[in-house]
Amino acid sequence: MSATATPRGGKYDVKERFRQLAAQWKEQSRHMSNPAQMAMLKPYQQIIGMGEAAVPLILAELQQDPDQWFWALEAITQENPVPPEVVGKVRPMAEAWVAWGKRQGYVAA
Amino acid sequence: MSWAGDFPRLTPRNHRVTSPATAAYNCIAWAAEDVDHWWQPGAYWLPADWPEDDFGLTALEQAFRALGYESCGTDADLESGFAKVALYGSGLFYTHAARQLPNGKWTSKLGRGEDIEHDAPDNVAGGIYGAVVGVMKRPVP
Repeated sequence: MSATATPRGGKYDVKERFRQLAAQWKEQSRHMSNPAQMAMLKPYQQIIGMGEAAVPLILAELQQDPDQWFWALEAITQENPVPPEVVGKVRPMAEAWVAWGKRQGYVAA
Repeated sequence: MSWAGDFPRLTPRNHRVTSPATAAYNCIAWAAEDVDHWWQPGAYWLPADWPEDDFGLTALEQAFRALGYESCGTDADLESGFAKVALYGSGLFYTHAARQLPNGKWTSKLGRGEDIEHDAPDNVAGGIYGAVVGVMKRPVP
């Protein structure tokens, strides 16, 4: 398991922390439709705050369960690999991000 | 957050679940009769050039205006020859849209959750969706 430093100098397990935050966010946002409202939730903001360390974990989550992780990925990476013809289609958008992750080395090819 | 916490006015008598949960489309898409997209400004929205950082109620009103709807105040009664949608908001954000069915009931997609049929727009208000802020209608083709 990987570990990283917190702003206060402690250490935490990145995968476990992501798992906890992702579960909290899914629960809190389950009935939301507005992506801005969903992205404002604290667990989502905390995942964005994890920075690049969260990218492979988000991509792995997208592979298993396509969901509204696109805002976080764009915020962290400042990329958007989704082709115009699939914008709004959740599964193809997730596939475009995973393909990008493979090219960038975040996901095993 | 629990179902009851999100929707304090939903009761077993005033709604029925009508589909499995899916993250493929959201309530705005469902109200617009589109089950292939997750509607959001800056990604998939009407008008297509709507600002990507405007997630307010005006965005929602303009999207349904682009689909041919006009405001009818708060009149949620069944009206022959017209389709209606109810718009919801909380704070700065639009939160939800519901669509009236030909039988006078309403249908809502609950985020990434299920579709439900409910008796009135107000049944899904009062919690996570805030308040019904208006109703719009368009002629049925």
